[in-house]
Amino acid sequence: MTVTSTSTADHAPPTPRKPRRAGWHGLVYVLPALALVAVFFLVPLGMTVWMSLHDWPLLGNPRWIGLANYDRMWGDAGFWNAMRFTAHYTVVVTIGLLGVAMGLALMVQSQGRAIAFYRTIYFLPVVTGFASASLLWAWLSNVDAGLFSPAAQMLGMTDRRVNLLAHFDTAFWSVTVMVVWKMAGFYMVILMSGLQSIPSDYEEAARIDGASWFQRFRWITMPLIRQPFALALVLCVSGSMLAFDQFYIILNGGPRNQTVTAVYKIFNESFVSFRLGYGSALSVVLLVILMVLSAIQLCLLRDKGAAK
Amino acid sequence: MALQDIGNRQTAGVTLRRLHKSFGAVEVLKDISLTIEPGEFVVFVGPSGCGKSTLLRLIAGLEEVSAGDVFIGDTDVTEKDPSDRGIAMVFQTYALYPHLSVAQNMGFGLKAAGRPKPEIAQKVNDAAAVLQLTDYLDRKPGQLSGGQRQRVAIGRAIVRNPDVFLFDEPLSNLDAELRVGMRLEIARLHRELGITMIYVTHDQTEAMTLADKIVVLRAGRVEQVGAPADLYEDPDNMFVAGFIGSPAMNFFPAMMGNGGQIELGGSRIPAPVLSNPPAPGTPLTLGLRPERYQIRTDGPAPHGLTFQVEFTEYLGSSSYCYGTIGDGLACTLELPNGFRPRRHDVISLGLDSQNMRIFDQSGLRIR
Repeated sequence: MTVTSTSTADHAPPTPRKPRRAGWHGLVYVLPALALVAVFFLVPLGMTVWMSLHDWPLLGNPRWIGLANYDRMWGDAGFWNAMRFTAHYTVVVTIGLLGVAMGLALMVQSQGRAIAFYRTIYFLPVVTGFASASLLWAWLSNVDAGLFSPAAQMLGMTDRRVNLLAHFDTAFWSVTVMVVWKMAGFYMVILMSGLQSIPSDYEEAARIDGASWFQRFRWITMPLIRQPFALALVLCVSGSMLAFDQFYIILNGGPRNQTVTAVYKIFNESFVSFRLGYGSALSVVLLVILMVLSAIQLCLLRDKGAAK
Repeated sequence: MALQDIGNRQTAGVTLRRLHKSFGAVEVLKDISLTIEPGEFVVFVGPSGCGKSTLLRLIAGLEEVSAGDVFIGDTDVTEKDPSDRGIAMVFQTYALYPHLSVAQNMGFGLKAAGRPKPEIAQKVNDAAAVLQLTDYLDRKPGQLSGGQRQRVAIGRAIVRNPDVFLFDEPLSNLDAELRVGMRLEIARLHRELGITMIYVTHDQTEAMTLADKIVVLRAGRVEQVGAPADLYEDPDNMFVAGFIGSPAMNFFPAMMGNGGQIELGGSRIPAPVLSNPPAPGTPLTLGLRPERYQIRTDGPAPHGLTFQVEFTEYLGSSSYCYGTIGDGLACTLELPNGFRPRRHDVISLGLDSQNMRIFDQSGLRIR
């Protein structure tokens, strides 16, 4: 066999080739997802905004009132109380949840059969529905038939049975503990995936460099799990801002309407007082607040050019 | 600025006494005893899974010793934390923190030790100047080439002013050309710093070119310790003889004959002088390096030994020829310059008995 050069044999310019295009068939693939987003998010969102510009009773014809529903919020003490309480709850529960989840993730990030067992145990409450967990907690907190109050008395922590749900502080912390118990496993999994993606070399290099456990956590671990942490934070904050079930089922907004959250307020306005237009306006405001908060969190936690 | 000006350098030897390491039921290091003199460049070499990286990690304190002692200088460091051993380590992956700049990476150890910022900056700048990293101090590791990352990893180690440097396959992620360049840099670093360096590699070329002393490991045991030339010329066993040198030593099954001769593939060739020669009829293995044959073009082979050419590798400055001798025994030859045999050519070979290495059936050298 012989091989010869063809460079002088063919002087014709090479045939230009068009780059391949994805074409319209790509759209077909995303169409189902687009349809779902349109039907279940965009259309309801548009309807909510439309309703918020009306006086929209349950029965009877809606009446266009422009921005009057939004204007009304300024003077609605119930709205401000709900927003204040929601913000307070969000801060407390986010700190508690992410703190506990981080601790659990650090404990169960290594491999092993026993570790897998603990991971499962910590994750189990996540698969319980919020309503079921709330009913369980309501029963556990019951002053007569529950467990917490008799247990506290038996252990000598109190001299008589205390109704945990009758006072704001104990009621608030009771619900917060329930939410942390129920949701910590979920955030543990997110943070654990981040921890497991950090090469062990970094930890070892830092150990040789003499960094303490806390220094390694602060200077190496936390910056390297920035993205999963941001995801956990956004999910946690938005989830807390939308809290409703637990306060409705366990506390029914009490004591003295002190635990009415933003969504609870929307529920009351829309489905108790049947002011659907005003309820829609509250929903739109809550959505805007959530979008702004999420954008701020993602900006603050954005990975600034750290190349792997 | 010269390297030795960075900090007040001192160095220490390393002594390993009867070191064992097990992971569960698997014993990966078995009774390792070794003395590394202060300022020595020692290379642990061996095939994958031989335990060389584990041995380095035991010295670093990244793994716990199952039994035995590790001394750095006169201090027993077996139970000490890695940071208290006076060591610095360069990892195979460099282990540079991706979110920190080059300067922050290099100064990380000093920052963790709570040193003042001006002192950290001074030491980082000095090391960066020596390693030609001054222009890259503000960059992130992801913005550097492989060679630059390697230099940052070395710089991070230098800034810590260690007694002992540990390298865990530091060049294996680099391309061939860069590997040669970095090898020279590490050799220069050792010459100028004079610090004890322990280097792990599976590449025997790196081991031969860098080491004052090579430790050859196999299956968790030390096979031989010695200077590169000693291991090449005077291996203790077939494993070392075959592992050190490229292309590898040729091994042929042979038998001790009468009258101080060895029977090899139908030929009878004079045996080397042995202090304890095996009895006639004893099976043995004859080892010959590819460059230690004489290619006879002026007549028939003196002992009737011929080589049939299968194919030839031309490498520019040298050529290797692969083929068979005797009754089809695989053999590699290094060819003299200008000699280009063709496939199926038959070459007459001459052998100098001083170049033969004789091994018994268990693979141990017969001297």
